[in-house]
Amino acid sequence: MVRFIGLEGVGTKYELETSSGDRIAVIFLLNKRIQIYIQEKSCEKPCSIEMSETEAKRLSSVLGGVPIEKEKESVEIDFMGVPDLTLAMHTYTITKKLHGKTIEELAIRKRTGANIVAVSRGGKTIISPPPHLIFEEGDVIVVIGDKEQIERFEREILGI
Amino acid sequence: MDIALAGLICVILAVISKKLSLPSVPSYILAGLILGSGGLDLLRADEVSNAIAEAGVIMLLFYIGVNLNPREISEKKGMIFHSGLYDFLINFSLIYAISFLVGFSHVQAFLVASALYISSSAIVLQSLIENRKLMYRESEIVIWIMVFEDIAIALLIVLNNPESSGLFLFLVKILVFTAITYMLSNYMPRLLGGLFQREDEIPALFAFTVALLGIAFEEFFHIPAGYTAIMLGLMLSGIKKLREIILPFKDVFLVLFFFFFGISVTLSADGLILGLIFAAVAISGKVISGLITGRHLLKSWQSGLEIGLDTVARGEFSIFLIFAFGIGKEISTVTTAVIITSILGAFMSRNSERIISLASRMAEKVSKTE
Repeated sequence: MVRFIGLEGVGTKYELETSSGDRIAVIFLLNKRIQIYIQEKSCEKPCSIEMSETEAKRLSSVLGGVPIEKEKESVEIDFMGVPDLTLAMHTYTITKKLHGKTIEELAIRKRTGANIVAVSRGGKTIISPPPHLIFEEGDVIVVIGDKEQIERFEREILGI
Repeated sequence: MDIALAGLICVILAVISKKLSLPSVPSYILAGLILGSGGLDLLRADEVSNAIAEAGVIMLLFYIGVNLNPREISEKKGMIFHSGLYDFLINFSLIYAISFLVGFSHVQAFLVASALYISSSAIVLQSLIENRKLMYRESEIVIWIMVFEDIAIALLIVLNNPESSGLFLFLVKILVFTAITYMLSNYMPRLLGGLFQREDEIPALFAFTVALLGIAFEEFFHIPAGYTAIMLGLMLSGIKKLREIILPFKDVFLVLFFFFFGISVTLSADGLILGLIFAAVAISGKVISGLITGRHLLKSWQSGLEIGLDTVARGEFSIFLIFAFGIGKEISTVTTAVIITSILGAFMSRNSERIISLASRMAEKVSKTE
């Protein structure tokens, strides 16, 4: 049971109590920062942390059960309407090995079934990159596909 | 009066007070008092600084209005009413009575009570966030008290407005204006929402202009500018983006207002002494009203003490009311009381836990000896 309440001039508060009686409160402050309070059942005083939006997003993917490895983040998405579909989205950093090659040349879709949906280069993001885009070392790419396609991508293309 | 110099002084003060986690409001006023005509006489208020000060006040009140969404408020009206009722009854009547006792007239006493009844939302809410108290039920009640006071301030502006010529006409004008803005609050967000999604200068320019419309309304229709600003804000409160757009304007102009206010004020000796007395009254009043509210709503006097200590600080609203309607001794009194209660209030809110446990131990001792 989550209690939701708007706090005028402060932000929005969500409160929940676990079945064992521990309490959690999450407050989205107006300045975009987020405070989280946790209170053990037997404890008189809650502990609190304050974090930025990005940090909160990290936390939410941890709680969402998505393993995050260093330099490599991933999200899995399930759709309510399509029960047997789980899409995985991963980010990878382009290494020296792939520098100078294009998506077409690597035949990524043909060989693995996975798709590159975005490339981030020097702070700018290219959504749906064209096949002739030339990779540069340090590019961060976002790959989408099902679990097997992602695994194939890692094996065939990245050689992990 | 050099605006850039004033800005620079305020920036330095803001940095220092944030470092020491003290409220910045009293520091701006104090700096103004020291440098201005009542102190070293290095800076003088002029037309430009007065215009900026006025804009600061209007921005503050417009911002209050923007945060008072009629729909969100009406969902919580019961909670807001029960939280704010004792706060109003006790503090207003207490300060009114004392003002009258020390020789103020009824009109003056009403103004001083209006000004010193209202806590500083800025300091109070900032303390709740900084001292990590948002999980507690007491904090929610404190927030509802602040909302109650925001609504009360709209009424107090109207009641303090010296409009002797035709009270009936004045009330009709206020009622008509209120009804129109309230009704429009249902349509405005849909009508103007698109305007605020633009990426160019139009949203900011428009928000700034609407906020300042209050001053024009006062000239043309003789409706108090502050009240107009609150209602115009309320009218547009459905547009969430507006809060973000108006915030920087409010911050800058309001800080300059405090500083320029300080410059224009000369504290008199009797005002200073009265201010000390009223600071003590103001603090005790909030502690008492907090105790009763906590006892009533949360069945615990410890909770009540927490509420009381959290709401002690007076600030922007007190200064605004006394700036708009006060003269001479009233200004000195309220300014002194605001400076004292804002600093002590921030301190009390930060150390509320220690104060409450100390009070608990003392209460135990007393009950044992009995």
